[in-house]
Amino acid sequence: MRSQLWGLYVREILRTFRNPFVVLITVVQPFMWLAFFGSGFAQYAKDLASVYGTSNYIEFLLPGVLSTSMLSVGMFGSMSTIQDKRFGFMKRILITPTSKEVIFLSKAFGSATRGLIQIPVMIAAALAFGVTFSLSPLEWAVWIFALLFTALGFSSMFLAITARSTDWQTPGVVSNFITMPLMFSSAALYPSSGFPTWMKVISAWNPISYTATLGRDLVLGSGIDATAFGYLAIFAVIMVAIGYVVSAKWLRVE
Amino acid sequence: MTEAEPPAIDVRSLSKRYGNHEHGVLALDRVTLSIPKGCVFGLLGPNGAGKTTLIKVLTGISDITSGDASVAGFDVRRESMKVRARIGWVAAEVILDDDFSAWENLWLQARLQDLTGWEERADHLLEYFSLKDRKDDKVSHFSTGMRKKLEIALALLHQPTVIFMDEPTIGLDVGTRRMLWDIVTGVRKEFGVTVLLTTHYIEEADALCDRLAIIDQGRIIAEGTPSELKARVHADLVQIETAHDLDTQRISALPGVQEVRAQGNDWMIRVASSEDFLPRLLATVPAEDVRRISVEKPSLETVFLDLTGRRIGQEEPMRDIRKFYMQMRRARS
Repeated sequence: MRSQLWGLYVREILRTFRNPFVVLITVVQPFMWLAFFGSGFAQYAKDLASVYGTSNYIEFLLPGVLSTSMLSVGMFGSMSTIQDKRFGFMKRILITPTSKEVIFLSKAFGSATRGLIQIPVMIAAALAFGVTFSLSPLEWAVWIFALLFTALGFSSMFLAITARSTDWQTPGVVSNFITMPLMFSSAALYPSSGFPTWMKVISAWNPISYTATLGRDLVLGSGIDATAFGYLAIFAVIMVAIGYVVSAKWLRVE
Repeated sequence: MTEAEPPAIDVRSLSKRYGNHEHGVLALDRVTLSIPKGCVFGLLGPNGAGKTTLIKVLTGISDITSGDASVAGFDVRRESMKVRARIGWVAAEVILDDDFSAWENLWLQARLQDLTGWEERADHLLEYFSLKDRKDDKVSHFSTGMRKKLEIALALLHQPTVIFMDEPTIGLDVGTRRMLWDIVTGVRKEFGVTVLLTTHYIEEADALCDRLAIIDQGRIIAEGTPSELKARVHADLVQIETAHDLDTQRISALPGVQEVRAQGNDWMIRVASSEDFLPRLLATVPAEDVRRISVEKPSLETVFLDLTGRRIGQEEPMRDIRKFYMQMRRARS
């Protein structure tokens, strides 16, 4: 199983990195959030420094944008799976001693990895916008793992939802459907303290909120939020387990 | 090929139904086949006959509805992973990672088959298929023939017992098709594999296969060596299209006539010898009534025609056109 998983994972990664356009867009998209939304909103945010806990809105926004990016990379695994179904590659893989679960794992880890390449680029961009980082190596590791868990969880969720689909359009539609409510009902763009009660309930379950808060605490120097980290780890484990079982049972071959 | 050796592929009363219960399409209907080791076995039949379904079932891509099948000595259902470690697959449409080089494609295949020390064999295969000097080139820059060769190399990498080739020459030009025929024959000799290939090209089945089964509407309707099958039709087939109906009784009474079958204004007549029969036929039918006459000597085509009353290539469109006209007529009335 390890041999097959490594082979398929490397294939996912190579396929991403051999397409410069995909790499460029993956990196540029969250950057544009920072640049446009961040800069556009920064002036008003300054007046609300007490709400945001910082006078540099980019500092507040960066962890949020990174966490929503981990949500949207989930789509890539689904798209790559559907491409394999359409081009018959799924059959090529399955007519070897490779199980559907292994295919699922390679796709989930593949797209999570794709999400992680955004981190260094975003950090560099934030530095350029005047954000200063004073994180310890442990804090960096916690943040990166929290982002990895988020990406893995959502990738698995997407793969489970689209396990039976062979339509190119599905991942995009699902992504649009999921991303918007999860992003706006989280603490990614603004603090959740001002939410109406029903939204607070959603936000309290929303993994994006936890990823954003955890990152924000680290950037703003409030230390490691162990609860958030634990929540994200559990979220990832549950989603991977669901994706694993669903793929084993329902993943369509063509 | 000794008698004691178990067959490479053993299929018993295998049925496959798509969709739910009895309303689904019966793609395979109690197929029984035994394919000896080292043989090039052909499944010949029109599109939609069930050839690809049989390959899907035997490779573990599709479930079995009922019956049993074993490949390379292992049960397809219960020992699927063992089967899959012993088979190779060549798709009708070439399926490779286009962004990868030939070598990277081989690397991935080795990973999927969990092989160690595969490099030497991969080198040997690239050499055998004259791809060695292109091994680091992206597959997307390869010609169709080269891609096909690489796909066969992938299928052979793990020294499989059986290779499945689904319509291996579909869409290829004549030159490439001939090359592929040579490859199939060569590969069997060089690597000692059993090849199960599907085709709807009569001449391909005739040229390549040691044995073949004719499959139609999910059923095996004949099996044997090409010459055995041809010998089954001890007759020439005369097809005649006429303006008016033929007098069937009179024609049946002509000497040497074995059978007369009508298909609209098309008549199919089995005769012992077309040379003797044609002058007699033309003496019976008014010349102005005859639109077309064709004569066929025994071939795999006539075997299929004889067994099903249809031709392999023309079956589908004919049916569609008839259906279309029937709908038109109904719509008008």
